Amino acid sequence: MTTTESDREGQLAAAGLDGQNRTALGRLLNTGSIGHAEEDADGTMRATIRIPEDELRYDPSILILPHGGDLVLTLINDDKNTHCAVLPCNGDPKFIWLVNHAKGTASINLDGPGTYYYSSTSGNDEGRGLVGAIVITGEVPDHAKLDRPPQPRP
Amino acid sequence: MTDYVDAGEAISFAQLSNVKGSAPATSAVDYERIRAAASEPENWLTYYGTYDGQRCSRLDQINKENVKRLVPAWVFQAGATGMQSGASTYSFEASPIVVDGIMYVSGPDGKAWAIDATTGEELWRYKHASPYDVSLCCGNVNRGLAVGHGKVYMYTLNAHLIALDATTGEKVWDTVNGDVRAGESGTVAPLLVKDMVICGSSGGEFGSRGHLDAFDAQTGERRWRRYMVPKPGEPGSETWPDDGEAWQRGGANCWVTPTYDPELELLYQGTGNPAPDFDGGVRPGDNLYTDSTVAVDVNTGEIRWHYQFTPHDLWDYDSTMENVLFDAPDGRKLLGHADKNGYFFVLDRTNGDLVRVFPFVDRITWGEIAPDGTVTPKVYPDEEGVPVHFWPGPAGGKEWTHMAFNPQTGLMYVPVQEVGATATRRRREFKESIPYWGAGVAVDIEDFYGFVAAIDPLTGEEKWRWRNEYPMCASTLTTAGGLVFQGTPTGEFVALDADTGEKLWSFQCGSGHHSSPSTFSVDGRQYVVVPTGWGGWIEGFLPGLLGAAAGDALFCFALPES
Repeated sequence: MTTTESDREGQLAAAGLDGQNRTALGRLLNTGSIGHAEEDADGTMRATIRIPEDELRYDPSILILPHGGDLVLTLINDDKNTHCAVLPCNGDPKFIWLVNHAKGTASINLDGPGTYYYSSTSGNDEGRGLVGAIVITGEVPDHAKLDRPPQPRP
Repeated sequence: MTDYVDAGEAISFAQLSNVKGSAPATSAVDYERIRAAASEPENWLTYYGTYDGQRCSRLDQINKENVKRLVPAWVFQAGATGMQSGASTYSFEASPIVVDGIMYVSGPDGKAWAIDATTGEELWRYKHASPYDVSLCCGNVNRGLAVGHGKVYMYTLNAHLIALDATTGEKVWDTVNGDVRAGESGTVAPLLVKDMVICGSSGGEFGSRGHLDAFDAQTGERRWRRYMVPKPGEPGSETWPDDGEAWQRGGANCWVTPTYDPELELLYQGTGNPAPDFDGGVRPGDNLYTDSTVAVDVNTGEIRWHYQFTPHDLWDYDSTMENVLFDAPDGRKLLGHADKNGYFFVLDRTNGDLVRVFPFVDRITWGEIAPDGTVTPKVYPDEEGVPVHFWPGPAGGKEWTHMAFNPQTGLMYVPVQEVGATATRRRREFKESIPYWGAGVAVDIEDFYGFVAAIDPLTGEEKWRWRNEYPMCASTLTTAGGLVFQGTPTGEFVALDADTGEKLWSFQCGSGHHSSPSTFSVDGRQYVVVPTGWGGWIEGFLPGLLGAAAGDALFCFALPES
C-alpha cells in the first residue's frame, strides 16, 4: 500500500514513525508541524519554537518566513532533557544551550529564498530527529533576475 | 505555569573556539599592486598569483636539490557543524591568497577565513548561510576570494557578492547578483581590477543565461553586465534559433575566474557549455558565446573578440578553464588554452586569431579539429535513447583546474584527464531550477589514467609527461626553484622537476586533490600551501574514486628551519 500526501500524517502515526522508539528508534526528520513567522512593522520576523516532552522535535519543525532578513526566535525546551540548537546565520552560526525547561532567544540573519536546516548537536539528537527547517519564501530582487521572459517552473 | 530557566541569547559559534576574531592590518592592496604582483613573490595577491594566469612564482628557496626535505609546517581543518548535505559539501576548491603573512581562503559550505600563514592559526572566520536547496551541479564549493581595498570579496552559493572587512571578517556590503529560483549560483573566485570586482555566474546545467558582471569595489553597485548568450538582434544572436526560446536558457556561464591584460585592458573569460548540454536539436546553430574565450573590455563590458572552441557543443565541453597569457620571443602577445575537447589552442590575444591548435590528450573520438581550426564532429548523442561513448568525457581532457606556465622553461604544465563517458540523449522540457541536460550520462569507472604534460606552446611539442594511474584533477603550480607541484586524486602532493618531469618529493594528504596550490614566503621562509578535498562532482570527472578517502584540510609545507 502506498501513502498519498494528504494522509501522510496519519500514515506516519499508524506506522509508528512519528515518535521515538516505536517502529524506528528515533523519529524521522521534519515530520513535525509547520508554522509561520510574524513580521514587525520594521520587517523583523519573530517566531517561537518549542521542544515538546519526549518527542525530539522542534515545534514547529518547519518555520516559514515571508522573506529573507532578520529573525528573532524564542526557543523553549519543554522536554525533561538537555538539548541545544545550532542555527544558521550569516556571519557565523548561532549556538544556544537549552537545558530542561529553559527559554532563550536567538537573533539570526538569513537570505532568501531557500531552505535552511538547523539541529541540536547534543548527543545524537540530530540523528534521532531533532532537526528543524527554516524556509524562506519570495523572490530575489528584480535587479538580480535574468534578462529574459518568465520561464516555466516545476 | 512553567518556571523556565533563562537560556539567554544565542551566541556566535566562533565564541566557542580559539579564533581571535581579527587579523593584523596588512599593507594596502590595490590595483597597481596586483598588476605588479610578480614583483613581490612573497605574496600571492590574486587568484592565479598574477593577472596573466601563469601560476608561476619567482620564489626559489625550495628547489630541485632540497625539495625532498619539505615537511608540513601546519595543517588547517575546515570542520563541520550542523546538518550535512553530503560528501560534496566538504571539499576545498580554492586558491589561497596571501598578503604580508596573512592567508585568506574560502572553503566549502560558505566559509571564509583569515589564517596566520606561518602557523595556521585561525584569525577570523565568516560563514555565509546559503540555503541547502540551491541548485548546484558540482558540489557545495567555492573557488576562492579576492583581496584588496581593505576588503575580502566572496561570491556565495546563493549568488550574493559580499565584501568583508579584511581585519575582522565582518560584512561590509552584500549585493544579490543571481536568481536562485532560476538555478543560478555562485562558486567563482572574484577578480579585483582597477576599482571593480569582476564576478561570473554559475548555473548552466539548469538552463540559466550566463553572464559576467563588474561591481564597484567600494559600494557593491553593479557597473556593467555582459550576457554571454545574445538576445535576438544582438551580435551573435544569428547563431541561435531565431524563432525559439533557446537563447533564454543558453548557458555559457562564467564560473571560472578570467585572466586580464592590463595593457590591452581586456578580460579573457572562458564560457560554459550551451544548455541543454547534450541535446543540440533544440538549439541549432553555433550557439555563441558558449564554449569560447571571450575578450571583454574591462571598462565597458563590451565583447572585443571571441574564439569558439566547440561550436554547437554536444559533449558538455565547457571552455570556462583559464586562458594563460604569455608572450612569444618575437613579442607577439599570445594566450594558451587547454580545452575540455582535448585540443590545446594558442591565440593572438590582441584579436583572437588562431595561432596554433594541437591535441594534448591521447584519446579523442568525439571529433577532430584541423590545424586551421576547422571542427568536424564525429560521435555525438543525436538519436533518442541510443548510448554513445566518447573521449574525452564531459569532464574533459582537462577540467577547470589550472595549468601553469614557467617562463624559465617556456613550458605549460597541464593536468590531463584520460577518462571517457557514455551519453544517451533523453529530451526533456525546460523548467526553471531543474537540471537541463538532455541526456543520461555515465562517466567511465574503469579504463582511465592521467598525466602532467609539459608542453611547449610555441611548437605544440610535449617535452615530457609524468604519468599517473589516475586522471589529474588538480591545478599545477610552478616556481623559479625549477619545480612543478601537483596534487593527485589519491592524495599525494608531488613535486616534479620542471625540466624533466622526474618526481622529486611527495606527501600523502589523506584526501584527493581538486584545488589550486599557491606559494608565498614570510620572513624569508618559503611555504607551499595546498587545499585538499575530494567530493565536488567526483561523479562527473572520476567516479572510479567516488569511494576514496575524502577530507577538507589545508596543508602548508616548508623546509625545516634548522
